Amino acid sequence: MHMADALLSPAVGGAMWAATAGLIVYSSRKLTLEADDKKIPLMGVTAAFVFAAQMINFTIPATGSSGHLGGGLILAVLLGPHAAFLAMASVLTVQALFFADGGLLALGCNIFNLGFFSCFVAYPLIFKPLAAANPTQGRIVGGSLLAAVVGLQLGAFGVVLETLLSGITALPFSSFVLLMQPIHLAIGIVEGLTTAAVVLFVWQARPEIVAAAAQAKPVGPLSLRKVLVGLAAATVLTGVVFSWFASGQPDGLEWSMFKTSGREELAAPAAGVHESLAGVQEKTALLPDYGFPAGEEEGAAEEAEAWPAVSAGTSVAGLVGSLLTLTLAVLAALALRRRRAAVVAGTR
Amino acid sequence: MSAIESQFFALGETDRLARQDTPLHRLDGRAKLLATLAFLVTVVSFDRYELSALTPFVVFPVALCLGGNVPGRWLWRKILFAAPFAVLIGIFNPLLDRQPLLMIGGLPISGGWISFASILLRFTLTVAAALALTAVTGFNNVCLALRRLGVPRAFVVQLLLLHRYLFVLVEETMSLVRARALRSCGRGTSLREFGSLTGHLLLRTLDRAQRVHQAMSCRGFAGAMPALRPARFGGREIVFVLGWTSLFVALRWVNVSRWLGATVLGWWS
Amino acid sequence: MSHHLVEARELHFTYPDGTPALRGVSFRITHGEAVALVGANGAGKSTLLQHLTGCLLPAAGSLLIGDVYLDKKTRPVIRRTVGMVFQDPDDQLFMPTVGEDVAFGPLNLGLPPAEAQRRVREALAAVGAEHLIDRPSYKLSGGEKRAASIATVLAMSPNILVLDEPSSNLDPRGRRLLIEMLQTFTHTKIIATHDLDLVLDLCPRTIVLHRGIVAADGPTEAIMNDEALLRECRLEKPLRLQFRPAT
Repeated sequence: MHMADALLSPAVGGAMWAATAGLIVYSSRKLTLEADDKKIPLMGVTAAFVFAAQMINFTIPATGSSGHLGGGLILAVLLGPHAAFLAMASVLTVQALFFADGGLLALGCNIFNLGFFSCFVAYPLIFKPLAAANPTQGRIVGGSLLAAVVGLQLGAFGVVLETLLSGITALPFSSFVLLMQPIHLAIGIVEGLTTAAVVLFVWQARPEIVAAAAQAKPVGPLSLRKVLVGLAAATVLTGVVFSWFASGQPDGLEWSMFKTSGREELAAPAAGVHESLAGVQEKTALLPDYGFPAGEEEGAAEEAEAWPAVSAGTSVAGLVGSLLTLTLAVLAALALRRRRAAVVAGTR
Repeated sequence: MSAIESQFFALGETDRLARQDTPLHRLDGRAKLLATLAFLVTVVSFDRYELSALTPFVVFPVALCLGGNVPGRWLWRKILFAAPFAVLIGIFNPLLDRQPLLMIGGLPISGGWISFASILLRFTLTVAAALALTAVTGFNNVCLALRRLGVPRAFVVQLLLLHRYLFVLVEETMSLVRARALRSCGRGTSLREFGSLTGHLLLRTLDRAQRVHQAMSCRGFAGAMPALRPARFGGREIVFVLGWTSLFVALRWVNVSRWLGATVLGWWS
Repeated sequence: MSHHLVEARELHFTYPDGTPALRGVSFRITHGEAVALVGANGAGKSTLLQHLTGCLLPAAGSLLIGDVYLDKKTRPVIRRTVGMVFQDPDDQLFMPTVGEDVAFGPLNLGLPPAEAQRRVREALAAVGAEHLIDRPSYKLSGGEKRAASIATVLAMSPNILVLDEPSSNLDPRGRRLLIEMLQTFTHTKIIATHDLDLVLDLCPRTIVLHRGIVAADGPTEAIMNDEALLRECRLEKPLRLQFRPAT
């Protein structure tokens, strides 16, 4: 499942984008160094294939529901890890821009969840050793299943962590995990089976393709480790920086920070931000009794999820104002559109 | 019309909207992309219970649609179509967070419902902005903008090629699926059939990739795609980005809705 | 003018899966000729065309194009002399817009952008498609795609133009426009096609391929009236020669 902007906080989104951006740069550089000009059209066209193939559904027996190909694993089989990662990233980008499948900020999370784990973890560490060396039907099916399941489990866990750390959802960790992991186990099995089905077909029709893909140079373990360490550092750093600038403290991030480093480091800047926010609101609010309860500040660090001003009058004002704002916006839009249509009609 | 066919037309529709000629369309893609990113970051930076402060942000997608001649109904339909995941996860908020935060005329409203509404509002805003961005910029220009903002060339080329061959492959797939459906007498596709259908599609794809590569080589391609068109990031673009960003920052700090509501209630009472 | 010469001597080629595609093909095409390459499916036409652009290398025999024999090293040189229009225009239009596709070749040749743009405009004008310059490729009709793909090749100013089934998937008007356009080109033209009526319109000379060898090579009129030869090579007379007077 794709992460959505609506469930994301800037800190988590920014951190994952840093990680993804790093991987994109790394993969692009590797690809340029490889200088295999055949790969460029191949990547583009097979990414289009994955996109289109996702529209072919098959019926899962005994459930009546349908499944389809995800694509990360089969891209890795055909293109190798780096090219497959870029291809997967491109598919997700197009989905985000054209179908709003996952938001633009969440795109960093999605590319990481669906691209990194299948291309850089599941494929090289599971599928390749199992099935690529000397492929047999059993090994291909087994390798696909295991790689797909592991890749998707990791990806799903990524979604759980990202959503929780963002703090927009109220789902606690345990329930969320219990919700996501089994579903993605099923999705992983489907992914494994569909990938195996396609690879088997290609293997029987044109075995040289599978053989050529298998012989691709392996990802050097040392360089990847260095990259991963660098990525992890960049991710954490970005997360911290973003959470400083973000005026709301995402409780999840704060919770994990609390667990690792102690509350004091965050409380001061957070309270400072809250204070300035309160100051601004006091100066601009027309209702003089609408104020930022001073007593809340100490509690703000703990009850970060509690809405600052909880008095009924202002909340109703907020709702009324929201409705008014929306209505005004819609009316203005309609009026402007009608006016433009009239102008266009008049000039004909 | 099957799901595939509607997706196919959806792809073409966005591009068609993007090819219109308005002052907004003519603006450099970087400006629109940066403004949208500023919008998205600001919207998601709100506290989970924030609702009223979010609503004024609707002015950005509305402005993009007006300026770019994007039909509101089209946008709305796409938003609805993409809603399921956010709703699915968000619906747990009212179930789990029952602490009342608000009283409307004696009726307590729990924090869960407020945060759920906030999720829905965020979702609408962020999705509307992303879709509107594509519709007023066009995919090719978004890629150009990305390249000029420093995204590696290999990835941008990948995006362009994917977009180029998407339509071709979706058409081929539609053909395959239609052909199968006509001879299936209502039966679904088994896994084996799926493997064969998709496998054939993949083999044809690989052949096509080879032909495209040949076509490229015959025209002198040796690994480097030629440089993309130059473009200006001028005064209008700077004004666009700074103007919108300042508005977002202002709206982030000042809750216009609450002020408006308080004023109106003040008159009323 | 030797740079327009195409000379094949005993070309042999077998595919990796064992299919013998060319079993000793020889011919000589000189400057400015328009030659049709006809034959049944599987006769070896596509294989031969791929040799002409250096996409395939002969297993035996030689192919001389201009003053250069085809081998791995001379491929880039040959590709500046020979321009091939593919059967499926989608394979040839891979840039975001038509203008960029047509500019791809000249830019790769190393031409400065201004000169490349000039070539683009000229090439599109030659095929009557100037208005398509900013159109994305997937938004074109069959005829427009065909015209655009021809333009992408013309922009490189080849001396020899090779076309693979150029009239396939064209409606009658599009086909007629294509024929008229090709008639104005002064390049050496080699056209592989099933459209025998097009051959009558465009190519004074025809080479018939059958099972990997040249079954006939001569004036089109003569070949198109040789019913026995045509039947043996799984061909038919062109439609306009098939008129049977009512008795």
